[in-house]
Amino acid sequence: MTRHTHASPHHRPADQTGKPPINIPASEWRFPINEEKKAKSLAVIYQEASLKQLRYYPTFLEHIWNQMRFQPLTHWLTLGSLLLSAMLLALRFRLKSGGAPEMLTACSVFFVFAGNICLSQIARLFSCHMAELEQTLYLNLRQMVCIRMLEAGIANLIILTVILGITGETNPLGIGTSLIYMLAPFLWSNILYLHMLTCLRNTGSGLFSYALGLLCGIAALFPVLWESAYRPEYLTIWKCLTIAGVFLLAAEIVNLLGRIDCEDTAIILSR
Amino acid sequence: MPELTLDRITKHFKNKIAVDHVSISLQDGVYGFLGANGAGKTTLLRMICQVLKPTAGEIRYNGIPINKLDGDYRYILGYLPQDFGYYPDFTARRYLEYLAACKALPPDLLKEKVQEMLRLTGLEGDQRSKIKTFSGGMLRRLGIAQALLNDPGILVLDEPTSGLDPKERIRFRNIVSSLSKGRIIILSTHIVSDIEFIADEILLMKQGRIIEQGTTAKVTESMHGKVWEYLADQDEALRMNDTFAISNLKNEGDKVRLRLVSDTCPCKGAVPVSPGLEDVYLYHFEEVSEHVEHLERRTL
Repeated sequence: MTRHTHASPHHRPADQTGKPPINIPASEWRFPINEEKKAKSLAVIYQEASLKQLRYYPTFLEHIWNQMRFQPLTHWLTLGSLLLSAMLLALRFRLKSGGAPEMLTACSVFFVFAGNICLSQIARLFSCHMAELEQTLYLNLRQMVCIRMLEAGIANLIILTVILGITGETNPLGIGTSLIYMLAPFLWSNILYLHMLTCLRNTGSGLFSYALGLLCGIAALFPVLWESAYRPEYLTIWKCLTIAGVFLLAAEIVNLLGRIDCEDTAIILSR
Repeated sequence: MPELTLDRITKHFKNKIAVDHVSISLQDGVYGFLGANGAGKTTLLRMICQVLKPTAGEIRYNGIPINKLDGDYRYILGYLPQDFGYYPDFTARRYLEYLAACKALPPDLLKEKVQEMLRLTGLEGDQRSKIKTFSGGMLRRLGIAQALLNDPGILVLDEPTSGLDPKERIRFRNIVSSLSKGRIIILSTHIVSDIEFIADEILLMKQGRIIEQGTTAKVTESMHGKVWEYLADQDEALRMNDTFAISNLKNEGDKVRLRLVSDTCPCKGAVPVSPGLEDVYLYHFEEVSEHVEHLERRTL
């Protein structure tokens, strides 16, 4: 009959030869650790662990991509049409080599309308009662508005570059001065648009936003009514208007984001 | 165990107090907020979902204020608003995919999760249809699907069954019951039957305050001796209808069996009966509400 015994590693029972048990301390009984192998194994474990994500955090670029890929096809067609129109308009003035005031008026009015159309995608976020729901998502309404503004800003920058780049050589005023003449109405029209967006409580969807954009764009038509608007002596006023416009637009954006965050805009605008 | 604590939450709209010093602690389970229209349920739920900011008080999740948790809190939140918003030109699938992306669902899980939710809510066959063609019931189901997309730890449903037919209501109740383990589910309704059987705890709201809180048994217990049944003739029934709160009315031949809610015995011959949640509702919310109209439609 075999008898099983549980032997401690420290006190081994006498073997079959009858020799007495050998007492070995635990530290000596273990195999020596291969430090190099241990470090390599740990590095592999660390690498595997770093790849395992318990929670998914999308990057900023992923958020932008997610916002862009769910934009309707009409939005991309509109942007494409705007870019094409900007090219054609600029080419027309380049070939025609007409007077600077005529070109500036036409281009700045076009730029203002284009800016407002690009900005109308923000209004879409507030339409169809979506604002309340969007405010509760991981990427919330405020962040969505920021992404849409960034997108609109990039689109505007491309359009402006196209216009100034194509007309640059034939433009007697130079790119810097033309930039000021075009930016001032653009900035003020955008301020008006954003202000109306929060104050008038946009209730409709696409059409209302476009109508609002057109209305604000009309403000850019004033040089048509006032022929001497582009005379050099008024350039300082244009510069002041541009600087003031930059600050006011920034303030208007901060106000809009603040209202979404702190006030009950999500509710008000979704009504 | 997750815990959501509302600490003296108050919300003012100019001079009107919508929510008045509400303090509750919610752990996993189904919580049913019951109250008449204008009781402050939606305002309270909107504050839980960070849509509104409380005028005073603080909401904490596991001891941390939710405004500090910010995105981490919204990550575990599922919300179905009373006025459910949608982009009408989106298909159901595209809409859910959009919201799943905004809820930061991993791209490799996104499509699978959307499909699962479409199946769960019975919208699989309509996933390619534009939302603008959906009926009220389908819209509500789509709303429930989007709220569940991120497998939320806190699920807030404001009037989830409005617009659903009885079959869809039962289906919804079963979905909620099956989801209740390990998460906080907050339901707001003024339709008693929506929460009577699935809520672990009932919270009665009136004029911005929680006036009663507990299990269905506990809440109804307080009504013992206040619910009566009486077999009256037609004229007497009409008279009593003007005097007492009638929770049910049933024609039995030329007589009418009345179920009344009254602190004292309404008349000789009335017998006390065991109270239900509808009786509790009627006792506290005597003003005409949708629930009462619903009751009237059902009984008369």
